[in-house]
Amino acid sequence: MCPIDCRQVLTQIELYLDGELDVSLHAEVHEHIGTCGNCADRSEFQRRLKAMLRAKCGCDEVPADLLQRVHALLQEAPPTPL
Amino acid sequence: MARSQAAPPDDPALRERFEREVLPLLPNLYSAALRMTRNPADAEDLVQETYLRAYRGFSGFEEGTNLRAWMYRILTNTFINSYRKKQREPVTVQEDDLDEWYLYDKLGESGVEPSAEAEVIRSMPDEDVQRALEALPEGFRLAVLLADVEGFSYKEIAEILGIPIGTVMSRLHRGRRALEKALWERVRERGLVSD
Repeated sequence: MCPIDCRQVLTQIELYLDGELDVSLHAEVHEHIGTCGNCADRSEFQRRLKAMLRAKCGCDEVPADLLQRVHALLQEAPPTPL
Repeated sequence: MARSQAAPPDDPALRERFEREVLPLLPNLYSAALRMTRNPADAEDLVQETYLRAYRGFSGFEEGTNLRAWMYRILTNTFINSYRKKQREPVTVQEDDLDEWYLYDKLGESGVEPSAEAEVIRSMPDEDVQRALEALPEGFRLAVLLADVEGFSYKEIAEILGIPIGTVMSRLHRGRRALEKALWERVRERGLVSD
């Protein structure tokens, strides 16, 4: 079996980083990245971009009054069904 | 999906389980609601409404199934049904022929070394990145939000949004390219790279 080349690897990076490749293709991409500087740089950039997005867009402080509103919801008598 | 008509849990054990398992999801749900509605007042109302619906439907939730995905499905449906109407935005998207490695290549062209590229992005203020994500058309925005911020799998996103996996992949792919373009514009506006 021929090893996959850079072009094939780069089209799979997105699925690779999302953990959506099947086991054998994941291993092939992983192996290629371990030996190819250009693909490794691109993969690492996309990985960090994903991590940065998670860090910057998923950690907003919850307003105190929202916490109170949700807690109050659960303390009330069972609400009327919708 | 739980039946929306189901009675709320009057069983103390069920209520206790709701508090133990569903309340800790609130910070993430609030962040997601902010990215969806793009304003704090609507985000608070959306989260409250989501919790109300979840609480009423919790007795119908099947234990052992994916609680996080269940909550995000309620959040997303509530957003689409109640809040989207209030917002004006074009439903169709301008087809944009973006390069596969748009941001990476743009940074490279402006002389940033590969090892420093991620640093440029990391140095961007949180607000810039949030606005860039929030500016994406809704279909793209929800896919990127659920995958990259919330860490759901394609299959989970398909279930949350009620769309085929192929559509998830396409929206994610195009959404990420559009986001990279928006981030690049912010990088330039901020003068984080030299032209």
